[in-house]
Amino acid sequence: MKICVLNGNSEPGELDVFLSRFGLLAEERGHSVKVLQLRDMDIKYCIGCFGCWVKTPGECIARDDSAEVCRTVVHSDVLVCASQVKMGQVSALVKKTLDKLIPLVLPYFTVHEGEIHHPQRYARTRELALILQKDGADEEDLAIIERSFRRMCINFDSSFLSLKLTDEPVEEVVDALAAA
Amino acid sequence: MHLLLLNGSPKGESGNSNYLLQLLLEGVDEIPGHTHEFANLVRVKEHRHYVELFQKADAVVMAFPLYTDMMPGVVKAFIEELEPLCGCEGNPALGFIIQCGFPESVHLRALEAYLGKLSSRLGCCYLGTALRGGGGSARSMPAFMARDFTENVRALGRSLGNRGEFNPEIIRRFAGKEKLPFLRLWFMGTVGDRMARAFFWNRVMKSNGAFDRRLAQPYSDPPEGW
Repeated sequence: MKICVLNGNSEPGELDVFLSRFGLLAEERGHSVKVLQLRDMDIKYCIGCFGCWVKTPGECIARDDSAEVCRTVVHSDVLVCASQVKMGQVSALVKKTLDKLIPLVLPYFTVHEGEIHHPQRYARTRELALILQKDGADEEDLAIIERSFRRMCINFDSSFLSLKLTDEPVEEVVDALAAA
Repeated sequence: MHLLLLNGSPKGESGNSNYLLQLLLEGVDEIPGHTHEFANLVRVKEHRHYVELFQKADAVVMAFPLYTDMMPGVVKAFIEELEPLCGCEGNPALGFIIQCGFPESVHLRALEAYLGKLSSRLGCCYLGTALRGGGGSARSMPAFMARDFTENVRALGRSLGNRGEFNPEIIRRFAGKEKLPFLRLWFMGTVGDRMARAFFWNRVMKSNGAFDRRLAQPYSDPPEGW
């Protein structure tokens, strides 16, 4: 199974250590893991220009590292968003990167799960999981984060796999993701 | 009341959020005695300064569109700058206006829950979140079609100017349809989609010479090593 991890930690720390152990164990168990260190990548903010739909279909017009993110996400079986919880949500680094996944859908409308959504540009879909460093977050914060990502899954025709915390044993986190 | 209007549209002043804030201000200004300031969160380098403006305001209204089911990245970056204010005395009252291009309001409810919790985390009096599906096309609609939309935002401004609150009844009216009924959903997914393709998306792509590549899959080759 191909696992793409978006590491949205703004500075090296506990989350990075956890993800290193996660990557090693997942590889030992036969999975292929690609961790993208978002803090080291040049990812510009989405400016809502729709250029990725109407000028260079499928690609952001700003030539930045979001192209590498999109390519890796497209070919993954599981997309893991890893982040500290900051002010009750994933980090701005993760959020601005997720905004840059818009080229993976088409501008048109379709009915999906009884709502209007965008059709997918690629047939291949993936499951989505979260690995969060909880810090000061409470249960309500985690529930809101999961709810937001479950909504995102509908838009990207994905399914939500699990929300795991860095204070859980890494073996359990790998097992949860291997269930995909 | 000194009001700070934070435009969180990644498009800056040309976005719908700025338009919504202008409508809100028209309503506020019907009641004399208030002052206001605008700030565009797309100017990320100014965020520290905007935090100072936030601290000095009596009320703050933040408006932005839904981006991948949450707030846009620039808005999240600003929210992180507010972290030192958590638990401080005297933070302003805080309200939100959010909208999305999808016609249903259900898309915005998870974000609404987040914004309520954010206000509580900051210790701000929560004015409420006015949300609206289909808000992305408000400016391009003929005036008679957009009247309900624009009048509700002005009325929200009047309630803020009069009583320093977002009237919950106006928020309820503004929200529109939570989900579309079956026939309207079918219409939007078929006829509505074809009309949007023909009269907007495909037309713009053709003018950009991109129509033949509209379904392009530029990332169909896997990354190296995969």
